[in-house]
Amino acid sequence: MTTLNNKRTGKLISIQDSLVKAHFLGHVIMGETAEIFVDGKLLQAEVLQIFPDPTNSDAGIVEMQVFEDLTGARIGDPVEFHGEPLSVLLGPGLLTSIWDGLQNPLYKLGEQDAYLKPGMHAPALDEEKLWDFTPDVQVGDEVRGGDAIGYVIEGRFDHKILVPFNLGKCRVESIIQKSRVNITGQVAVVIDAHNKTHELKLVFLQPVKSPIPFKERTIPNKAISTGVRVIDLLAPVGYGGTIGNPGPFGAGKTVMQHTLCKHALADIIIMAACGERAGEAVEVFKDFAKLKDPSTGENLMNRMCIFGNTSSMPVAAREASVYIALTVGEYYRYQGYNVILLADSTSRWAQALRERSGRQGDIPGPEAFPMDIPDQIKGMYQRAGVDSGTGGSLSFIGTVSPAGGNFQEPVTQATMDATGGFWGLSQDRADAKKYPAIDPLAYTGSVYDGFISWKDRRKILGTLEEANGIDQTISTIGLKKVPVDKYVLYQKGQTIDFCILQQDAFHEMDACTRPDRLAILNEAVQKLIDTPINFSSNGMEDEELKELIKTRFDELRQWWKDWNSSAGNEEQIATLGKKIEQFISQEEYAL
Amino acid sequence: MIRKEINRISEVGKALISVEGNPGVGLNHVVELLDAQSSQSLSFAKAINIGEDSTRLQVFNGTQGLSTKTKIRMHEIPLTAGFSHNMLGRSFDGVGEVSDEGPQVIFEKQLSTRLDTLNPTVRLVPKQVLWTGIPMIDVFNTLVKSQKIPIFASPTEPYNRLLSQIAQGAQADVIIFAGIGLKFDEYHYFKKQLSQSGNIGKTIMFSHLAGESQIKGLMLPDVALSVAREFADEGKDVLVLLTDMTNWSNILRNVANYQDMIPSLQGYPGSLYSELARRYEVAADIDGAGSVTIIGATTLESLEDPVPDNTGYITEGQFFLENGKLKLARSLSRLKQQVNGNTRNDHRAIMTAMASLLADAEKAHEAAEVGAANDAFSQKLLRYRSDFIDKVEEPFGDSIDLESALDMCWDILRKHFEATETGLSKKLIEQYWNK
Repeated sequence: MTTLNNKRTGKLISIQDSLVKAHFLGHVIMGETAEIFVDGKLLQAEVLQIFPDPTNSDAGIVEMQVFEDLTGARIGDPVEFHGEPLSVLLGPGLLTSIWDGLQNPLYKLGEQDAYLKPGMHAPALDEEKLWDFTPDVQVGDEVRGGDAIGYVIEGRFDHKILVPFNLGKCRVESIIQKSRVNITGQVAVVIDAHNKTHELKLVFLQPVKSPIPFKERTIPNKAISTGVRVIDLLAPVGYGGTIGNPGPFGAGKTVMQHTLCKHALADIIIMAACGERAGEAVEVFKDFAKLKDPSTGENLMNRMCIFGNTSSMPVAAREASVYIALTVGEYYRYQGYNVILLADSTSRWAQALRERSGRQGDIPGPEAFPMDIPDQIKGMYQRAGVDSGTGGSLSFIGTVSPAGGNFQEPVTQATMDATGGFWGLSQDRADAKKYPAIDPLAYTGSVYDGFISWKDRRKILGTLEEANGIDQTISTIGLKKVPVDKYVLYQKGQTIDFCILQQDAFHEMDACTRPDRLAILNEAVQKLIDTPINFSSNGMEDEELKELIKTRFDELRQWWKDWNSSAGNEEQIATLGKKIEQFISQEEYAL
Repeated sequence: MIRKEINRISEVGKALISVEGNPGVGLNHVVELLDAQSSQSLSFAKAINIGEDSTRLQVFNGTQGLSTKTKIRMHEIPLTAGFSHNMLGRSFDGVGEVSDEGPQVIFEKQLSTRLDTLNPTVRLVPKQVLWTGIPMIDVFNTLVKSQKIPIFASPTEPYNRLLSQIAQGAQADVIIFAGIGLKFDEYHYFKKQLSQSGNIGKTIMFSHLAGESQIKGLMLPDVALSVAREFADEGKDVLVLLTDMTNWSNILRNVANYQDMIPSLQGYPGSLYSELARRYEVAADIDGAGSVTIIGATTLESLEDPVPDNTGYITEGQFFLENGKLKLARSLSRLKQQVNGNTRNDHRAIMTAMASLLADAEKAHEAAEVGAANDAFSQKLLRYRSDFIDKVEEPFGDSIDLESALDMCWDILRKHFEATETGLSKKLIEQYWNK
């Protein structure tokens, strides 16, 4: 990369919403960041397009998107180019942080003003805090980008201090002793192959659109316990996997994200609240802060960081926020941790691209989205994955908010193409308040191995499909025409739906089901599916018999639901198996 | 201060004018348009698109009567909204000018209308119920202070009546009425209702009538919300009624169209979501200050229309009004979980059980239409459905408190079902079934 000592500047010649054009002298690099001076404030911008002046090789026009409100900007306002692409600051202190979409810490900004005003900035990470640094290399050692030169303790994590990824082979010239340092202090000096010295600190800047490499990329092969039964049984996600989670508004995407935040077993959870409601992000960092991390019992916020570029914040920063969050995720994966990135919502991210391309006057693709939106979406999900070289993983779960709840729209379609699994939320199930409203029979599935065998997974799905078919028959030609054995099958499907798929996200016990309990549930379900049940008809009419069957199943379902929300100790848990056996044999039961 | 004046208007369009060259105006700054001869003020306008060769401005009073000779006077500031406690009880237009017969209001200060985003860390997680006395809201979709929630309804539904009923019962210190594209009788209706309920003294009305300047309608929410926010910053609980945001979005669409912007869906600009969000996100419970609650009205032909669709993703739920009833299936308060866990112990369970039975009942109802709901349980469901619509989905009528509303729910269940058919837990059945 060319570094320039002399300042490169320009002047605004056109302003429209968040898009500006400027004349420049010298040269400008695609994707580099710039600052615009408006009314005494510095506003951040990013270069989108460069048009050289055909008559003067040393000048041209540059088009930029500005990440902050441009009110008051005038023709002629000066621009200064930075030479660096949009970057994120990586180092200790990332966890528990809450930033806006451009890594400005929101609590620090809150000390300046209750409102976010253009030109307000603050250092991304705490510059005062001292970290106990322990060196791992010695003078003369050879290191390269990504190697650890030492570590600090960040909460319960060993946080390795890495050589910036853009450096090649280097030799350690000096390194400090075990001591307490802040992020602005120098910890080491290294010399590269061209004899150039580089000063290393606890932190470094990483361009957000250049992925941090894998050491050894492998495929996801271990399922994440999310605590959500329908997911863990029927559409599991593996560590390092990718999931699209589409749903019309009101179908429960937010509650799903919050549930994953609380219960998914991972070392680190990153939330990119991208163009969504501010209140939801606030609920996470204010209320969840009081909850316990399921794997450690520590405060839940200790494993989280949040990028809150909410819906009323500048739209240009929305695109940036997802890439910034991804880069932080990759950084912790490189450290060897299992990271889950929750992006809510990727549709808002895509809309930000649409707004921009519309202003730039690009020829629109379907529904006015940029033509290359599928490729951009794929590129984003591709950054997730497992690294067996570091032992870490980055899983990416993106919500999709399809316009009109129509899954045929471009972003949903491209996401289906890009992800390894899909959790389709259904309006009908949400209307019936059957939560989580994931419909296992539509737009739901996963390529990942889960907690039960593929055979069992298929069998449950098969039963649900058949029960659904019978349900259709009942509502079109009536219950009378349905044979008794089919009606029993239908009731089995209803039972699986009511007792397994539906789960109360707000109930302390029911909200989260771990693999051991899941295995017991699966055993019960498989037995219920496999075994024919003989309801003794005693010469009853079919209609009377069906009523009896319904009553019996109603009782079972009520019992089972109570079990879900109450059975805690081993003895109580064991009652489910007995109950199912008794139910199947249709003996009188008194559990 | 002498303000710079120029006269280089190169184009007069429907709501926009263009000025040749660069008059030196800042983005979103206001200019005043003056008659070429008399220098009498004709209108204000806002700079929205600035280039070296040409600058576009939105004209607040419409472009009728303007010519290329019209003079432009620079004001060097963005649009502000006047603020005064004397605004209470008064009516204003979309840019905050007095529109009733009363005296001029002396403003205490001028507020920025930029609607800067509230720092999320200053927000409180909302936990205070706003009771309405309407069972469909209080039991099934509890309203919470600082919530932003629209009423979705077809244009012929009594949505304004519902809005006004909710407003009258709501415990707010200040009510800000923001009407865009109102018909005169709607404006009159609200004014009368608010006067009769004795709330007029704590109400400020901002009204834009259908047929008035589009740009004034476009500005109206920003002016009204800036004033609302100022009261909240003073510690007041403010309720804002925005009606009808579909009218507002249509103005946004028109203006985007005049600017030759590339439309995304049904002619609306790609920024529709962000534009709506910017207004609705003003709703907040502010740490150390008051709160802003927004209840809007969104008229629609279909839920898939871009305006209700985008709105649904922005707001914290919606109330769905159909045939004069608040429909359970399509209504949702996203904040209800924040408050309905510590009311009565059967509240959440009743809500879930009745909703689930109603969904089954809707299926039975569909089946019945093709004569396929002959079994006994389907018949039960059908009777339940009709009772539910009559008693629970009815929003207009006497105010009912939560206890009585929950008791009414148990009565309905008991009347139509066996206890085990309700899906309610044994514990609750024991407590309430034979009460």
